[in-house]
Amino acid sequence: MALEVPLPSLQRWMQSVVVHPGAAGEALESEAAQAEVPASRLAEVILPSRTLTPVERVGIYHGMYLLRMEEALAGDYGALKHFLGDDAFFELVRGYVQAHPSQSYTLNRLGDHLPEYLCTAPGVPRREFCHDLARLELAVSQAFDAEETPCLGEAEIAAVAPGDWERGRLQPVAAFRLLSFRYPVNGYLDSVRNEDHDHHPRAKARDTWTAVYRRDYSVWRHDLTRPAHDLLADLAAGRPLGEAVSAALGRGGRRAPTQDELFRWFREWVSGGVFRSVEVPDAG
Amino acid sequence: MATNRWNLPDLGIGVGLRTVHFGHILAKRPKVDWFEVLSENFMDTGGRPMYVLDQVAEAYPVALHGVSLGIGNTDPLDREYLRKLKDLAHRTRAHWVSDHLCWTGVAGRNVHDLLPMPYTEEALRHTVERVRAVSDRLERPLVLENPSSYVEFAASTMPEWEFLARLAEAADCGLLLDVNNVYVSSFNHGFDPDLYVDAIPSDRVVQYHLAGHSNKGTHIVDTHSDHAVAEVWELYRRAWRRTGPVATLYEWDEDIPDFDVVHREALKARALQGEAVTTAASIHGA
Repeated sequence: MALEVPLPSLQRWMQSVVVHPGAAGEALESEAAQAEVPASRLAEVILPSRTLTPVERVGIYHGMYLLRMEEALAGDYGALKHFLGDDAFFELVRGYVQAHPSQSYTLNRLGDHLPEYLCTAPGVPRREFCHDLARLELAVSQAFDAEETPCLGEAEIAAVAPGDWERGRLQPVAAFRLLSFRYPVNGYLDSVRNEDHDHHPRAKARDTWTAVYRRDYSVWRHDLTRPAHDLLADLAAGRPLGEAVSAALGRGGRRAPTQDELFRWFREWVSGGVFRSVEVPDAG
Repeated sequence: MATNRWNLPDLGIGVGLRTVHFGHILAKRPKVDWFEVLSENFMDTGGRPMYVLDQVAEAYPVALHGVSLGIGNTDPLDREYLRKLKDLAHRTRAHWVSDHLCWTGVAGRNVHDLLPMPYTEEALRHTVERVRAVSDRLERPLVLENPSSYVEFAASTMPEWEFLARLAEAADCGLLLDVNNVYVSSFNHGFDPDLYVDAIPSDRVVQYHLAGHSNKGTHIVDTHSDHAVAEVWELYRRAWRRTGPVATLYEWDEDIPDFDVVHREALKARALQGEAVTTAASIHGA
């Protein structure tokens, strides 16, 4: 005899079982599941097969859920998984998808909240390092998927009168991210990707700065000095070029760039495809 | 030659477009009849995937295949998703847009699985209404694939093939017959797969899927991780005899080998198509 369960209720029940972080048996007895279908009446909802009980059959979907979430997140956070190890990363995923379940038709953005989740997730070793590493990996995946925007070309540069550059505002491409870290995580990501890493690096805290951007459909990561980061941050925020350069030169001490450095940075950023346009507001 | 009621073309024998093959496809331009594109992989990216898709769509016929439409969901349809799907179909000049007979999540969540429907009159009415609404929005008939499943609901009042046939008729949609899924579900639920393919309205079938699976002993999981087994090829031959020429596609999603291996597996279908035609001719001539 089948238990009459309206379709919306049946779906709420099955979803609550599939996404439950515990075992399938626990999932069936959870409050959310029993609000729709009492665990004692499972056999009136799911038929057994020749070889599997109803619990085992639902358990197939339940078991595949976390594996699928882990696979999606490992794709974006490969270095974090490497650092934590397979088991710890799986446990991180188990907690994360409870706190931030997918609400989108795509898995591409499932991991958008992982850096912030790491700040409070239980049992995370070297939390600040992991947080920095996750922020970098998120920036890479965002740059990979960002809208394609054309880079600033020679013609656009030539069209700006020399006297107008001071008022010019440079706009970065959509696939540009600028980050500052407390740990040298870009070096760690390189070492993981190059497979020449130490599995448990003892990297000491050290402020680092990294630009992430995409050119010709490849994502690039460049470490910056603090002065270069500060200048690029001002430019990306829309500060006029003249003001941004004056601010950079005025920072004094070790943070003040030389003229040569300024020219080199601009050459690298423009040829690297960091900027999409330069806008010169009307004078006055 | 088209044999379906919408005159959607037989695109030949195609392969699923997968990231690991992007470089090979762009560099070698392999002689493949067509590609099937996983819709959600391209709906929110402006990077290399979209660039590759534009190149592929320029050089080959394509069809879109989704996993997140959630045609059986009891949440409202996602209008933003449908808008992006329609835009992608337009951009790629897709011959058709398919998804699965399943639900994917409720209460705003997406489980990212093809969850099974109970085969009841209530579920049928619900799904018919949504298929019509989606086809209206897409301005083309939606094509639905039979899923693999691991549970059977006690409340079901009809077999899956009857549900699918009635749905297709009432909602006027196309069908993507995945013969591997038929085989997987027949093993898991203990029905005769021949009954299934014989009951599918042949003039609504616009595409076939073929794939490998993982036999766990107690059940089979639809992993798309291997070559198709002989029983699946036999089902394909049986179904082809009924439908005639229909676009056929091989899916390989886990442990994906080189492109040429996947393509060679797909091309096995061609020999079976010939055998099916010969068999059909001898049956009709008898």
